[in-house]
Amino acid sequence: MDFRKWRILLWAIAAALNAAGLYMVFFFVPAEMTMGEVQKIFYYHVPSAISAYVLFALAFAFSLLFLWKEEPLWDSLAHACAEVGWVFITVVLVTGPIWGRAAWGKWWVWEPRLTTALVLWLMYTAYFLLRLFSGHDARTARVAAVMAIVAFFDVPIVHFAIKWWGSIVHPPKVSLEPAMRLTFLVTSAAVLSLAAALTLTRASLGFDEARSLAEEAQ
Amino acid sequence: MNYWRAVWMIFAKDFREEVRRKENLAASFFFAFLALVLFYFSVDPTRVDLGQSGAGLLWLVILFAGNLFMGNTFRKETETGTLQALLLAPVDRSAIYLGKFLVNLAFLLMLEALILVFAFILLAMPVGEHLGWLAVVWFLVSIGYSAVGTLLSSLVAQIRGGHVLFPLLAFPVLIPLLIAASSLTQDVMIGQSAGSVRWLQLVGLFDTIFLVAPLFLFEYAIEE
Repeated sequence: MDFRKWRILLWAIAAALNAAGLYMVFFFVPAEMTMGEVQKIFYYHVPSAISAYVLFALAFAFSLLFLWKEEPLWDSLAHACAEVGWVFITVVLVTGPIWGRAAWGKWWVWEPRLTTALVLWLMYTAYFLLRLFSGHDARTARVAAVMAIVAFFDVPIVHFAIKWWGSIVHPPKVSLEPAMRLTFLVTSAAVLSLAAALTLTRASLGFDEARSLAEEAQ
Repeated sequence: MNYWRAVWMIFAKDFREEVRRKENLAASFFFAFLALVLFYFSVDPTRVDLGQSGAGLLWLVILFAGNLFMGNTFRKETETGTLQALLLAPVDRSAIYLGKFLVNLAFLLMLEALILVFAFILLAMPVGEHLGWLAVVWFLVSIGYSAVGTLLSSLVAQIRGGHVLFPLLAFPVLIPLLIAASSLTQDVMIGQSAGSVRWLQLVGLFDTIFLVAPLFLFEYAIEE
């Protein structure tokens, strides 16, 4: 698979947007009134969560495609989406407590959205253990695809279970100042493009790896 | 062969075999008893009222003890090569899944009955008052656990050393079910019903999704 041109383009976009995003977060956007500077973590915390959810949804779709078509390309894409999604959900779990320490006075609160992210992290970590324990063959790919589908089906149930179970809530709707909204849009685009670049790079690596392993086996 | 007859035959074969060998069931039932005793030692009974807050503990024991036999659902088949024969049988593969699911459900219900008796006698939990409701709730939750457990154990059976993975794969997926089961059990034990309908709906949704999805997924999960 040669997505070379796409990869270069995506990395260029991601680099430009991230440079702009960093500049805006540090020098342009005003600090929030009550929480102060630490609130700026929001500009990376929320886009990371969005990226992770999008990537997990894509991992689900590519896993279905792989089971249906049995083409290694779909497996490489599903694997890459799950892996990069895992990285971003980890970012959510690290930035959440840093923000939470300042906003709530505790490192960790069992707050619905953060807890949902934790459960997702657990499920996709298990997915990688499954990949780690097995090999690189088609059977592993199939088994992992089924697990990715099961995990994705579980997400809405997890969401509701934890919402009804927990009591502390995120602010439901945040209204942002124009400068804040602009910064948020830029950092969202930055994080999403970074996620796309990482995923595509990882997928082409995985695809080449699978192909060379298949050639070796022949 | 008729579809339901195939389901029944797989159920009967596995059930009879396990009841005769007793390996997995004996380990699981003994572990459940042991875990309850250990849990009791780990809390201060003068400060913790298990009748008020012990429901989740029972469910943890069910989860841990259940995984001892559920993770092995397909292990024997892959080790002795009977899986090949099963897959060659001229019957839809979801019949294999349903048969195995029913075996796991039956064993899980036996395990739960045992845990209820222990909870009643050893921990003096108020499980006797609304036994009918408790049976309904536990039955519905068990469907979900067995459905997920059977599918995931078919996955790990194909991987060398995969049985270690079973609880690691299954428990994160089962988290919403554990939350619902604990809340519902607690509500039944203290005779409260506010909020129960919501949790029952959640369990129903979980059961439906994970009983229907494997009928399609299992075909791919176990392919040779």
